[in-house]
Amino acid sequence: MKTIKKMRYNWEASVLGLMFQLNQKQKAKRRVKSGRNWKSEYLTPPLDIANKSKMLVARHILRGRHANERGKVAWVTSGAPAEFLKALGFYILYPENHAAICGTARVAEEISSEAENAGYSRDLCSYARTDIGSVLSGKTPIKTIPKPDILLVCTNICQTVLHWYRVLAHHFDVPLILIDAPFIYTEASDHSIEFIKRQIEEAIPLAEKIAGKSLDPQKFAEVINLSRDASMLWMQILDRCQHRPAPISAFDQFIQMAPIVEMRGEVETVDFYAEMLHEIDQRIAQGVGAVKNEKKRLLWDNLPIWYRLRYLAEFLGQHGIVIATSTYTNAWGELADLYDPEKPLESAARTYIYPMLNRGAGDKLAKMKRMIEDFHLDGVILHSDRSCKPYSIGQMDQRDRIIKDLEIPALLLEADHNDPRSYSEEQTTNRLESFVEGLGF
Amino acid sequence: MELTSAIPGRLETINTFKDDGGSVAAVFPIHYPRALLRAFDILPVEVWGPPGVDPSQGASQLQPYICSLVHNMLAFLKTGGLKITDYLIVPHTCDSLQGFGSILIDFVSPRQPVIPIYIPRGRRDSDVDFFAAEFAAIYTRLQEITSRSPSDEEIMGCILREEQADMLLAKLHKQRDGLPFSDLQYYRFIRTREYLPAENFSQLAQETLSQAGESQRNSGIPIILSGIVPEPMSLFETITDLGGMVVADDLAGCGRRLYPTGKSEEPFQRMAESIIHAPPDPTRGNSLQERLDHLLNLQNISGAKGVVFYNIKFCEPELFDLPILRKGLREAGVPSIPIEVDVNDPFSQQTITRLEAFLETIE
Repeated sequence: MKTIKKMRYNWEASVLGLMFQLNQKQKAKRRVKSGRNWKSEYLTPPLDIANKSKMLVARHILRGRHANERGKVAWVTSGAPAEFLKALGFYILYPENHAAICGTARVAEEISSEAENAGYSRDLCSYARTDIGSVLSGKTPIKTIPKPDILLVCTNICQTVLHWYRVLAHHFDVPLILIDAPFIYTEASDHSIEFIKRQIEEAIPLAEKIAGKSLDPQKFAEVINLSRDASMLWMQILDRCQHRPAPISAFDQFIQMAPIVEMRGEVETVDFYAEMLHEIDQRIAQGVGAVKNEKKRLLWDNLPIWYRLRYLAEFLGQHGIVIATSTYTNAWGELADLYDPEKPLESAARTYIYPMLNRGAGDKLAKMKRMIEDFHLDGVILHSDRSCKPYSIGQMDQRDRIIKDLEIPALLLEADHNDPRSYSEEQTTNRLESFVEGLGF
Repeated sequence: MELTSAIPGRLETINTFKDDGGSVAAVFPIHYPRALLRAFDILPVEVWGPPGVDPSQGASQLQPYICSLVHNMLAFLKTGGLKITDYLIVPHTCDSLQGFGSILIDFVSPRQPVIPIYIPRGRRDSDVDFFAAEFAAIYTRLQEITSRSPSDEEIMGCILREEQADMLLAKLHKQRDGLPFSDLQYYRFIRTREYLPAENFSQLAQETLSQAGESQRNSGIPIILSGIVPEPMSLFETITDLGGMVVADDLAGCGRRLYPTGKSEEPFQRMAESIIHAPPDPTRGNSLQERLDHLLNLQNISGAKGVVFYNIKFCEPELFDLPILRKGLREAGVPSIPIEVDVNDPFSQQTITRLEAFLETIE
């Protein structure tokens, strides 16, 4: 039985993954041959590496199908210090990523309706509703997701995740590890950093018990090293968009960030971003931009609108506008310097208390101003995301200050990152058209 | 009832306290170290909205999907409602209050110092130690601002005074049935704990408890009220008019703040223990099972026939728990109903009809 399971796992995780990659490559070749290449008049085709990222994500998903049979599974929030779980051999699933996959696959509405039918309010975060709806109904565009043996929640991105994971802990009746990250209004206090360090220290024995093995310090340091390397490469990739024309747009970044969120601490992730950086450098050398005729450059604030990425990219692209950078994709690279494999716990505590979402609205404004300068931007789109209060509160002041202090246009765009019912195409288009006019075309 | 009409209001209390040389802190919901503020001769006066404020002043800085309590807090501050206060204390209760605190510090920059407090979400030793260290940091901040340095003994004196008031508050909850109050009068009375100095509250509480006897309340359909804050307070009149009677509550501002006495002899540690071990509260990270057990226990003790979940629109901490709590109650044979409100709106006819139907069902 064990052998059959192992064979099935290897078949799905390795053979199917490889076949998927080959299929993607063949499809791309066929498109070129048949002259049905990239359809957009305004946007440059995706990076070649895009096929590889699809393969990486697909392989991770395929591994997940049999993860419960192969070992232990942890469900983890995107900003959590998951390195010790990775070092203990847990298969790690990020429900936020799964919800985003549902969003891009345009099934989030149907799945979150399952949660709403069970009594969860539509005023709750649409990622949480999508995830809870999937748990309750079993619906997912990736066929199946493994059940958790443990949950790890870190409050450094919002308090919503704690409420959401309390629901999951109740549903699955599994332990919930809490890493509570005190919010930084001005500066992180020593006792806050000590608090996080102590919580990670206290979490390790429980994770070891569930994993059935002890944490190997060398392996832990190795995982931290890999996390740091991948984050640094990711940051370099994002910084390359300071070039004119920007080699990739924030829409490309939203798609290519999946490995840095989902597969931090893996060799493949580091290799993937090294390769991506190389391809981006080639684009820069050739003067290729994400938007064919780049005229204006913008900053995107907040999560993407997952179900309308292509529409927004095309709409802006036809006006020669590229979203060169975003605060959201930046969040997965900006703390890379803080990782220290020599001091894994201390550095984890520092790394995980400082995410942008755990800092004040003034800090985000300062960061946006720096990005506007560094990336030579002409305007800002602030996605006022109904589902993400901590990211959105403060945006009205941020917009006003950007307009007043930097004298560039800034637009507050009302939508929701995963629920299309809180998005109006007509209204969005009208607002974008007015905004584009304001950019001075 | 004579006693409630004799209770001083917020403004009168503030003026009296200030006349005696003290200062006043506007404190936003929910949990904070009262005794620590009093040790610096600062009277905490809580701000739960308030309802009835023109919320448009808040709308220029907050999106419409932020709850009405936070909208009103900002509007109240911007329209001068908190002019009389000397400090603004912002506990980190939820993402919206976090954002509110951040907007105050980074953009509004009020005249008063803004002092945020992070509330830990667990009940581990590490949470108690962190919370105590957080209080120590607030002590240092207040020391810098006021140039005062209350000793451990002085802080402990304040703690004991607050513990006495908390103990009497718990007694009032326990003996509510024997008090000569309607629901509205009762909640008006216990909510004076939001602004009266502990010693004044204790005195009034003792006087009131001395009048407690056999059940003095009109019979009604017994219910538990759960939620953040019972605003608008006309809610209680409506419940009474419809034949209901609140026999216990799981309100963030009331029943969830029946703080037990801390055990430590170290003042900061003792205050931390007291808040962390208070009745279950989603904003302090209690599990759903703890919340459900608490509600079932309240129902068992009070004989309530149903639970009204009285939620403020967009309140995530409450909304996330609702389905599992309702399911657990249903399985235990306790019916419940969710009611959603905006503190600025009067009670709608639709809400009244739903409440009426619920009470008829459980009668």
